[in-house]
Amino acid sequence: MNPAVIWILLICALGAVVVRRRSVAIVLTGLQSLVLGAQALSQLEGRTDLAVAAILLIVKGLALPVLLLAVMRRTREPLPIRSDRHPVTRLACVLVPVLAVTLLTPELALSSRGVQDGGIALLTLGIAIAAVRRGAIFQVLGFLIAENGLYLIALGSSGGLPALIELGLGCDLILVVAVAAAFGVRIHRELGTADTTLLSDLRD
Amino acid sequence: MTDLLAWLIPALPLCTAVLTQVVRRTATADRISVGGSLLTAAAAAALCARALLESARPITGSWYLVNGATGVFIAVIAAVGLMSAFAAPVYLAHSGRSFFRAQRSRAWFYLAFHLFWAAVLALPLSNNLAVSWLLVESTTAASALLVGFTGRRSALEAGWKYLVLTTCGLAIAMLGILILYVGVAPHGAGLHALDWQHIHTHAASLKTSSATLAVILIAVGFAAKIGWAPVHNWLPDAHSEAPPPVSALLSAALLPTVILIVWRTVQAVAPALSGELGQTLFLGFGLASLAVSVPFLWRPLPWKRLLAYSSLEHMGVIALGIGFGSPLAIAGVILHLAGHALAKALGFYAAVPLQRHQAESAAEPASGLMQKSHGVAIAAGLSLGALSGLPPSPLFFSELLIFLGGLQSGHLVVTALAATLVACGFLGLMHAAIEALAGESEHEHRWQRGRSVRLAERCAVAVGAGLLLLSAVAFLLPTWSVTGAMAGHL
Repeated sequence: MNPAVIWILLICALGAVVVRRRSVAIVLTGLQSLVLGAQALSQLEGRTDLAVAAILLIVKGLALPVLLLAVMRRTREPLPIRSDRHPVTRLACVLVPVLAVTLLTPELALSSRGVQDGGIALLTLGIAIAAVRRGAIFQVLGFLIAENGLYLIALGSSGGLPALIELGLGCDLILVVAVAAAFGVRIHRELGTADTTLLSDLRD
Repeated sequence: MTDLLAWLIPALPLCTAVLTQVVRRTATADRISVGGSLLTAAAAAALCARALLESARPITGSWYLVNGATGVFIAVIAAVGLMSAFAAPVYLAHSGRSFFRAQRSRAWFYLAFHLFWAAVLALPLSNNLAVSWLLVESTTAASALLVGFTGRRSALEAGWKYLVLTTCGLAIAMLGILILYVGVAPHGAGLHALDWQHIHTHAASLKTSSATLAVILIAVGFAAKIGWAPVHNWLPDAHSEAPPPVSALLSAALLPTVILIVWRTVQAVAPALSGELGQTLFLGFGLASLAVSVPFLWRPLPWKRLLAYSSLEHMGVIALGIGFGSPLAIAGVILHLAGHALAKALGFYAAVPLQRHQAESAAEPASGLMQKSHGVAIAAGLSLGALSGLPPSPLFFSELLIFLGGLQSGHLVVTALAATLVACGFLGLMHAAIEALAGESEHEHRWQRGRSVRLAERCAVAVGAGLLLLSAVAFLLPTWSVTGAMAGHL
């Protein structure tokens, strides 16, 4: 796999960590899925699993951003959600665990170490985004980025993932994102904002 | 016959979910839900009987595996699901505001409830690690909607937290599955490469480092779904905010069933693991869950929140039993699964009249139930007494079996620590039970014996009989063929 592809995927994910506007983060994540879909198409050579992966990634890159942009339109923020941390600090907070996990992961027998590092970094970045970003939509984008990391690893393995599992993975993700979108709208209606850090009533 | 039953068990709740969407009258939707649940439970009972009677000869099909473990788990899930289906109309009659529009809220509830139940029922049947992961992930979407069903701010918080944490955890578990797949795919790629038997057959050819990493990732990832400490943050919130019939299904059926997936994975990969990694993982999660939950059992918590921390404690006890791994401990695990499911479900059904007659119960500890309703007090007392392990509760015998199993397997220190923590938990729960039944209460009027109170009374009778039956057969479990089979290979 061309290292430039892996770098594009990582830059898109890092963009979702630092950008303030939800629309930009949604477009970056959609672009990431489309790049992965194009990569799957370029490796096709008659393999069903890769064809399924390519279709799912392209659908994911087009349909889910449309859904999230629609949710964004229904949940206009009265004021921009201000992060507690400066974007550079946020980037540093995310990069430390990402680098640590990536470097500590042993060799997984994928097509190249770069693919492995890229996949693990994307997965960790996705989880970190879900943890550090305050807006509901950013946290959903975290799921999508984490899942793109899994797809990258699957593309880098010689066998790929079985087509049925890829299909199930895609359907499950669409279901989870749809439910998360419904929650995002409800949270916005309840709080007047989609800032999930305001949901902190349940403590013991 | 087995093939037909294996397909029917998840298909019947799916059909019920669809049927409840096409009717307009609420009473008809209630009847369809209960009727579909009865059919599902009947199919589950037939399969369970077959699985338990022929536990020496596991049956595998296109996607399913029917063995002793399948039988035990299907029985538990079907029983709790059926009771929850009976409790749901009573809860919905007074549920008030909802996540959904008022006209459609009951239809959405039944859709999500039956989809959730179908996925949980399919889990112990699944013969494949990746398919099991997909089923666990699909339970997240349906159950998150149910957790947030009331649409209250606190319910939205609980549902959102549940969705985010479990989805992140499952992404980690999927990485572990991918690593495992890369290792076993050279012996036959495709979906069947991740069948339990295929993984076990080729596990010896896996690199120890890859297998170790895969098992740790799968266990840690699924731990977020099971609610094992320290990745349990969603559990008390989701269990306390979900409608009581859903809390029962979450706590008594979903959590232990996800443990089964981790258990099967560890057993399948065992030939590639060095030392006792699998056992250590279970013992670690078990002790951590007990240590985290017990202090909360001593605090004056609202009723459902108390039950949620009790779930954390009991998932810890089950993990310890699996970690000990001796036949005595496995007998204890089987008894604990069944006893916990019945007692915990009863506790949540007792919350239906509690929420109906005392709205403050969502934020305050239950107290003085004897003055308000004898039926609800008996249900609550029976539930807490059984959960605390007060003899003759089956949980007393199951914990005894697990600790004896711990000694049998040579884990003296872990057993001593766990027994101390369980004893502290017992005292905490007994204190909560005394307060709930006989404590002083600001609201001393007697509750009308309406549908919700009658539900608690009927459940108390049924569950009480079930608990006594389990206690009566406890001594047979260590020599039961299913126990031997589960201690060997799942």
